[in-house]
Amino acid sequence: MLNVLMLGVGQCGNRILDAINKEALGGGGASSLTKYCLRPKFPSRVETLAVNTAINDLKELRFTTAKDRLHVPNLHGVGANRNVGKQAFMDNRDMIMGEIEKRGDFDLAFVITSTSGGTGSSFSPLLINELKRQYRNITVITIAVLPFREEGSIYLQNAAFSMRELMDVEAEGIILADNQYLKRFSGDIASAYDKINSMIAQRLLFLIESLDSEMLSVTDLGDFKTVMNGGLRIGTMGFYQADRKNPSVRDAIENSLKPVNLLYPANVTDDSARAMIIIQGSREYLDVDEITKEVERLSASAGHVFKGIVVKKGHPKVLSVFTMASAPELEAIYAQAARAMQDEKEKRLRARKQMDDAFAHIEDLEEIY
Amino acid sequence: MRRMIYLAVFILLIQAVHAINSSDEDTVTFKDFTLNIGDRIDIGDYQAELIEIQSVKDGLAVMQVSKVGSPLEDQRAFLLDSANNIDGGAEDGGITITVTDIFDDQSVKVRVEYKEDLGTARKHTSERPRVIADRPNLVVGKSFDKNQMSVGDEVKVTVTVKNIGTGQALNIGTEDLPPLPEFSYIAGYPPKIKDTLDPGGADSAVYVMSAVKEGSIRVPAIQVSYTDSKKNAKSNSSEPFNILINPESKPDLVIKLDPSGPIAAGGKGMLNVSLSNTGKASATRVKIEAQIKPPDGLEAIGLEKSLFEIPPEQEVNYSAELLGKKAGNYTVSLKASFQGGDAAMIQEGKVEVVVQEQEYKYLYLLPILPIIVIIAWMYRRYREYKY
Ligand SMILES: Nc1nc2c(ncn2[C@@H]2O[C@H](COP(=O)(O)OP(=O)(O)OP(=O)(O)O)[C@@H](O)[C@H]2O)c(=O)[nH]1
Ligand SMILES: [Mg+2]
Repeated sequence: MLNVLMLGVGQCGNRILDAINKEALGGGGASSLTKYCLRPKFPSRVETLAVNTAINDLKELRFTTAKDRLHVPNLHGVGANRNVGKQAFMDNRDMIMGEIEKRGDFDLAFVITSTSGGTGSSFSPLLINELKRQYRNITVITIAVLPFREEGSIYLQNAAFSMRELMDVEAEGIILADNQYLKRFSGDIASAYDKINSMIAQRLLFLIESLDSEMLSVTDLGDFKTVMNGGLRIGTMGFYQADRKNPSVRDAIENSLKPVNLLYPANVTDDSARAMIIIQGSREYLDVDEITKEVERLSASAGHVFKGIVVKKGHPKVLSVFTMASAPELEAIYAQAARAMQDEKEKRLRARKQMDDAFAHIEDLEEIY
Repeated sequence: MRRMIYLAVFILLIQAVHAINSSDEDTVTFKDFTLNIGDRIDIGDYQAELIEIQSVKDGLAVMQVSKVGSPLEDQRAFLLDSANNIDGGAEDGGITITVTDIFDDQSVKVRVEYKEDLGTARKHTSERPRVIADRPNLVVGKSFDKNQMSVGDEVKVTVTVKNIGTGQALNIGTEDLPPLPEFSYIAGYPPKIKDTLDPGGADSAVYVMSAVKEGSIRVPAIQVSYTDSKKNAKSNSSEPFNILINPESKPDLVIKLDPSGPIAAGGKGMLNVSLSNTGKASATRVKIEAQIKPPDGLEAIGLEKSLFEIPPEQEVNYSAELLGKKAGNYTVSLKASFQGGDAAMIQEGKVEVVVQEQEYKYLYLLPILPIIVIIAWMYRRYREYKY
């Protein structure tokens, strides 16, 4: 059995973690009731921990137990300032790591964070380093959320710098989710967040469950690590659940790779370096031959493809995880961030110049009383 | 030569002193007097006598001013605080008279200004006795012997009239109208007061009425009218006031029944009975009858009773023994009939008594236990998620 640690850092990370706990309680509206009667049902031994400098963000959570919410006291929050965030982490490192250590040994850790805020994006790279140091054989996967592009230059700049740091650390890989790409699901931000968070939650739980199952065709943590190590070590996930109208497993595999079902805009055939396809469903739907053919077809364009099959009652469900050899969208973000920072700098210079011109009026004057 | 100069200086000095002296004699001085009617002031040839006070309110006093050996003799009305010049006033060798205060209709304060060479002003007190003004002044009052009463109560009304003036009051009449609809007038109405009252004299009249309607009532003023010896009509009234008439007092019994709890079949219990009189009058000849429905299965001992009286705001308690014979729900009703005033009255009270099967005495606890367990569990979970 796998020992899994899920860390949600910063508000975004906290809320995705809450969505995972909600999903583990059965998901949907019923979960607010079931939390009073049942334990969250995780496929493996999963420990969750929400970490934040803002106590209000922690209070907002509904499905994460109180002991799983860790407040890192920092006098005024970090206010989207990553330097303040790093200092706050270092000041509280022993406390945070002690809290994690209490929860035992782990094989796999997910660090969930936004790339653009202050707390999550600055804590996460440091936290990953600490995890790697503390647990010798741990596999660490970062779940990184990219901002809406219109959220402002500070967020863009944070995203650019924190992505660079996340790629530098020794984690096994990064799985991207892009708010900008996913915002089409809803008109208002709050429900868009909810939708995005539950999509991420569903995929992660499915992944853990699959890694820990007796599979017909074996994929395990090792395979997953290999996939995440491919290309830029940056990847994303897709998911599709077939229904009675079309229970075809082949279509389900194809659908799981379609842009609508991905968390980040990527083209599997062009961009993918390595992939992993996990299929779950009743035996009668799982035609191994058909699956093999489809996977082979994919391998031809998408590099190496691992496949895993889990027999479980129900229509086919397919999770696809792949890493990318190139990420044009990410490049665009850097360009945009650089532009925004340049603008910011110019604006500042202009403002300073204007003030200097203004001061010139009183250059030779003394105060008169 | 030097002597001449000394003399000249001396003469000049004397003249100067003389000049000062002569201007001294020209100085106007003044003096204040308090005058009663008839009193007079003499200054040189002038005489000023206070004749009457025309009006204290308007500040008018009449004085007669005359001059010996001169035709001047006139009566003038002097307005308070305004100077009156006689023969051109003090500056021109005459006098100036100012009434500076009017104390009452008998006396004033007067200031006289004059040149010192007229001599000193003196007062001559009149030998005439002061006339006593003829002013009757009646005050009237009306009072009830109680200010709270109930419908049916009698109330005594006293009307008093008193002459606190200085003259006789004549043709005294009182008007105590209109008769109040909340009362019926029993005796002495309308009140009769003496026709005339000497100064210091008083009279009173009493009448009796009985309250017939409840409510808060404003009792209007009584007016007294009279004349003085000169036939001047005057009047005065009393202050109106409020009184409260309460509803007629009645007894009212409240019955409370309090069983000691469920009774086991074959067991015993108690039923506590309390009868309290919340009314304002005694309940007399109280008789308590009991009825149990269904009639068999529960028996009560000592539940029926007769009492002579329960005074107002008092309570009578007793308890009866209950014997449970058969399981079931019973209604015990008590009927108290009693006399209140002239009317016969009835009050009832009811209570449920449960007789239980003995074996299932604590059956009702069974569903409560799991509910408590579930609530405790939910609460624990709630605490776990509370941050
Ligand atoms: N998908 C998703 N994104 C979120 C959510 N909440 C915030 N974000 C995104 O997260 C970014 C802001 O980062 P936060 O996680 O709120 O910031 P933080 O780490 O708490 O840091 P500070 O608040 O600056 O201390 C923005 O780009 C938001 O769009 C959420 O519930 N779901
Ligand atoms: Mg925050």
